[in-house]
Amino acid sequence: MTEENIHIKRLTVDLEARRINRREFVRFAALMGLAAPTAYAMAGKITGEPFAPSARAETLPKGGTWRIGTRIKDIKNPHAYSWGGYDSNISRQVVEYLTFTDADGVTKPYLAESWEASPDLKTWTFKLRKGVKWTKGDELTTDHVIWNLKHALDPAVGSSFIGLVHGYLLDDKTGADGKPTTELWSANAIEKLDDHTFRFNCKNPQVAIPEHLFHYPMAILHPDDKGVFGVGAQGTGPFELTEFELGKRAVLKRRTGYWGGDAAIDGMEQIDVGDDVSAPIAALASKQLDGLAIAYPSQYDALKALPHLNFFQVKTAETGCIRMHVASKPFDDARVRRAMRLAIDPQPVLEVALRGIGTIGEHTHCSVALPDFAAIDLPKRDVAGAKKLLAEAGLPNGFETELVVPNDIDWFQPMAETCQQMWADAGIKVNLKPIPGASYWDIWTKVPFSVTIWYHRPLCTMLLGLGYRTGGAWNESGWSNKQFDDTLTEAEGTLDLDKRKALVRKLEEIMLEDGPLVQPVFRNVFTFMDKRVKGFYSHPSNYFFGWKIGLESA
Amino acid sequence: MIPVIARKLVSLVLTLLAASFLVFAVTEFSPGNVARKTLGPYAPQESVDLLYHKLGLNDPLPVRYARWLGILLGLKADPLQDPALKLDFVDPRGDRYFGNFGYSSLYKASVNDVIWTRLRATALLAGLAFAVIVPLSMLFGVLAGMREGGALDRTISVFGIVATSIPEFASGVFLVSIFVVGLSLLPGTSPLTTDTGWPIWTQLVLPVTVLVLYDAGYLVRMVRGSMVDVMNRPFIRTALLKGLSFRSVVVRHGVRNAMIAPFTVILLQINFLISGVVVTEMVFAYPGFGRMILDASLFGDISLIEAATLIALMVAVTTQFIGDIGYALLNPQIRLR
Repeated sequence: MTEENIHIKRLTVDLEARRINRREFVRFAALMGLAAPTAYAMAGKITGEPFAPSARAETLPKGGTWRIGTRIKDIKNPHAYSWGGYDSNISRQVVEYLTFTDADGVTKPYLAESWEASPDLKTWTFKLRKGVKWTKGDELTTDHVIWNLKHALDPAVGSSFIGLVHGYLLDDKTGADGKPTTELWSANAIEKLDDHTFRFNCKNPQVAIPEHLFHYPMAILHPDDKGVFGVGAQGTGPFELTEFELGKRAVLKRRTGYWGGDAAIDGMEQIDVGDDVSAPIAALASKQLDGLAIAYPSQYDALKALPHLNFFQVKTAETGCIRMHVASKPFDDARVRRAMRLAIDPQPVLEVALRGIGTIGEHTHCSVALPDFAAIDLPKRDVAGAKKLLAEAGLPNGFETELVVPNDIDWFQPMAETCQQMWADAGIKVNLKPIPGASYWDIWTKVPFSVTIWYHRPLCTMLLGLGYRTGGAWNESGWSNKQFDDTLTEAEGTLDLDKRKALVRKLEEIMLEDGPLVQPVFRNVFTFMDKRVKGFYSHPSNYFFGWKIGLESA
Repeated sequence: MIPVIARKLVSLVLTLLAASFLVFAVTEFSPGNVARKTLGPYAPQESVDLLYHKLGLNDPLPVRYARWLGILLGLKADPLQDPALKLDFVDPRGDRYFGNFGYSSLYKASVNDVIWTRLRATALLAGLAFAVIVPLSMLFGVLAGMREGGALDRTISVFGIVATSIPEFASGVFLVSIFVVGLSLLPGTSPLTTDTGWPIWTQLVLPVTVLVLYDAGYLVRMVRGSMVDVMNRPFIRTALLKGLSFRSVVVRHGVRNAMIAPFTVILLQINFLISGVVVTEMVFAYPGFGRMILDASLFGDISLIEAATLIALMVAVTTQFIGDIGYALLNPQIRLR
């Protein structure tokens, strides 16, 4: 990639005119294949701000085992994972991704050392890093990567990656059994150029392909493992999984000869601390653990009081979507859905449910933490307006409904209770039905009214594509809006940030007018680590990376 | 004795059959199905439908129950191990053997691979707690009951009531605050591995203490009540009037007779300690049987729930049987028939 690249040129012009800021320039230039340090240097040259190279990786102390409290869930099928913060944090130490989207939102090379997009953003060419060796010694090649992409896109595997790339790589079709399914839109959609180069030939322009490739199910596995991960599975990463017991623990040991340089720590141990909020606190207090994969608001005060811990947080798009299924009465009427939103003031929800550690949501699932977010005017809480809408929808006396609340996310119940009180003012009687988190996933796409956890993704368009595109695998509310679908596809293929933000704003407005959500807050992801843990930072997707960590001796 | 044992065994089998059928029926009302749970929340509906059909989940409840029983007794092969299903589920014991509890949809492993290590962990916790609870409650129960209304009785009784009234999750947090956060003397959780820097015995201290506090308080009250009753009986008065010392009246006449009533209650504590310790196991992240049952129930893992129920029932019926025999030995007036 050179400065002659048309996309970089356009971004440069935007930066010179200050239509975008330095951070946005670096983010999108990196997405277009410009190496991050070069992007930072160019931005410095244009804006005159001194170029501050990212801090040199501090020399990490060597040795030790990093012990993290988490939930040990099923890890067998990486391409079908559904708990990025848990399952993929075990496998990601062993198997790697083509790209790496860091906490600052900048996507960097990983197994792919560079990439380039055609001017129309439909053809993306990826070059693989050379000399990357699998555990058993053979070299990573294009064939391996293409096998993985095709495996993840096989509908029988059940990967959420399908929802992400559906708009530009897949066509709908009817299967042999008469049921709808998908297939690659062209036999040439994923094309091998040589042993270290491959290409996506897309049917629609798409700006975020490098970020999609870091989506947690898209790990690159050795084809010999047939899509299955476990003890002894091959990987290109810095660790090997040596022990695994579901519900108990996972042990990872450092692998020597890792292409990125050997990890500083000898290994990691991930330990299941259960769903009880007090157990992880006790484990950290007695230094049985060095930190938690994910900490929750109800643990915050107790953990903050432990002097040997450091606090880490990052703004994210992680949220609880109170979603209404549009096939269920009365939520089939857009006016009712709007009334549900109009009756809510997000601020008390932020204070009560998240103790203020988060940001306001605008019922659109687009977070201020994301670079393509466009601010819209969120209407103020208007109880009279909500009542009026209900009356127009034939519900002058309000209505009664049941909200299903999974009980494994500690802030959902206080959020639901706060909303419940506000809805009551508008004549909407909401009965809360807490259910076990594990049972919720049996019904999450079916119940009329429920709260669903959605973890962070790096772009608004990515979240909207996963959750709200017509027919998408994770479209839990069954919502369908043609104008939304078309605008989303257009936004996904627009690099020009002004145009793109205008399109995202349009998407947000459609969501606010017609969408299936009440979504008052976004959570800041936070956790605590022992002060002897060096190199750690909170990643918005709750990911952690053993190769970035060093441990001072206790 | 042999007819008694035979009768007990028949009744055990009938109880197990009835209970397992009830569990089967009750889990009918929980949301979701085995096929969905086996394949995961995001598996395409077509794959779920296919598995649903292949496992015969459309069949009526009695048919499915009979099939489950057939697999348990080793009469039928476990259909989940059929390679055509591509579930990758292999049980090293084979697909047809006696005691095949099937496949845990939660742990993605054979139930036999999951359940026994957890049962052993809980047995360790329960055994230690039991070994402390019984002598402690007997000692304090007798001390309190031998002089009803005395200062010692009042002190022990108040302490016993207070200890029993504090739920395990509360006493767990109190103890953690003092010994883990305050004094840094003990570890806060019990993963039963040494990698966390604490020897395993230290990880057992707090969970055992919580169980002892909760359970011993209750047992002390039981033993005390029985002791008070015995100490008011005419034969005690006679022994005292005969000139025996108070100490030997208590030890030789009081204690043995006072043990008859609490004996069954003490044995019942084994049931509580095996399947009722879920709260303690949650508070200390203890990888035991109770926490496993809770996780399985919340997830709706029917194979695991069935297996756990049968094991808990076996324990209950066995302790009851031992209780009956012990009762007869302690009290010659009772005869087993």
